[in-house]
Amino acid sequence: MRAVRHLRSVVFDKRIALLLLLGPFAVFGAVMVNTKDRAPPQILALAVGGDGTTLLEMRADKLYRRAAADGAWAQVPLPRAVAPSRITAIAAVAKSSDVLYLAGQGLGVWRSDNGGRDWEARNDGLPSREAIAVTAHADRPETVYAYLAGNGIFRSEDAGKHWKQMDGGPRAALTQFVHSNMPGSMQSGWLFAATRTGVARSMDCFCGWYDAGGLNAKVHAVAYAPNQPQRVYAATEKGLFVSVNGGEEWRRAQAPAGSVTALAVARSGTVYAASGSKLFRSTDGGQTWERVDA
Amino acid sequence: MRSALLASAMVFAGVAVTAHAAKEALPPLDPALAAQGRSIYAHQCASCHGPQGEGAPHWQARNAQGELPAPPHGPQGHTWKHSDAMLYRIVREGWRDPFNKTKRLTMPAFRDVLSPRETRAVITFLKTLWKPEQRRFQWEESRKEPFPPQTNRTTRPADDRPPHEHGR
Repeated sequence: MRAVRHLRSVVFDKRIALLLLLGPFAVFGAVMVNTKDRAPPQILALAVGGDGTTLLEMRADKLYRRAAADGAWAQVPLPRAVAPSRITAIAAVAKSSDVLYLAGQGLGVWRSDNGGRDWEARNDGLPSREAIAVTAHADRPETVYAYLAGNGIFRSEDAGKHWKQMDGGPRAALTQFVHSNMPGSMQSGWLFAATRTGVARSMDCFCGWYDAGGLNAKVHAVAYAPNQPQRVYAATEKGLFVSVNGGEEWRRAQAPAGSVTALAVARSGTVYAASGSKLFRSTDGGQTWERVDA
Repeated sequence: MRSALLASAMVFAGVAVTAHAAKEALPPLDPALAAQGRSIYAHQCASCHGPQGEGAPHWQARNAQGELPAPPHGPQGHTWKHSDAMLYRIVREGWRDPFNKTKRLTMPAFRDVLSPRETRAVITFLKTLWKPEQRRFQWEESRKEPFPPQTNRTTRPADDRPPHEHGR
């Protein structure tokens, strides 16, 4: 019995000694971990939810949703089979706040019908999983477009169950694109693409890609205003630009920060812009900006 | 080893043949309708789109007036990407590129020139210019957006005639 008590005392003393020895490092380490956790990750992509008000934000390896009603951010679950760090594009579907798409190189295209609770790979008919970008049709909930590196643009009219190659995409490689219901198309709308040399534009019958205006700069992101479809925004390496005639002419807009890398426009016309880890909002078409959640 | 490879190759070939056979066969084009369309094309379309459907020179860039020249209708163009319904609509109603620098229609309307059946005929002729895979693409696009029913009428009702033929 005494031997047992002695043994416990020795173990206890060793624990105390170990704690005294490593304690400061443990506390320091905990602080380091917390600091790292709190470091704001980069915003990689933005999208406005199908109801026109919900904002989606891909921040490093996490997807968040912000409802306009309460302004609170909620994390959206991602598919378990997917390495979140590979997600580079998100899209929301017209007239539904629950249907989401995500895409990335090596991932292909994934769809959720219930706000991210469940996800399903939708890659039948795609020649590879090297998806660079995904965008949903502005009006047709079942129509979605994906751009695959080296293969071009594919369209699905049944929510990603089957895909069909439409064309090779713009001459310069596409990094992001958006479907717009701007009038004047032979078919049902237009596609605006951010490329290494400017914004490219095509009707959604894929009758040919043309340079939209003469930006002559690498474009990080392009978005259009659903309430004024001729109004298009382009975030470029030379700054933020806005067009009021469908990309035919551009004028420089006030940028919220040095380099804008993601854009989205709500149905109301509110413009969201991401610069690094910071999110900004403009309610006057890009003339003035305020931080969101500053 | 060789027999195993041969067996694998036969299985692969069998799968490929089965997959190919699973594709629905393209419906043949009506030769009489295509011939009628060829004649109409020569009279109504060739002056802009070229006698062989080759399109206007430099058709991919805007001309000095800021308009898009007439595109080719063959494999190098994009006519094959449009459904029957859309091609019919564009020929009948015309279309103006919203980025045109003039007020003119990019594609003039032929509603008053061609009957619905004649419009279908000329589109049928255009299909003879396409590659098989382009024909298939266009056929798939058209399943949801086919020609309107009035294009099936081979006899032309009086009120369907182009105005210049009324009273003949």
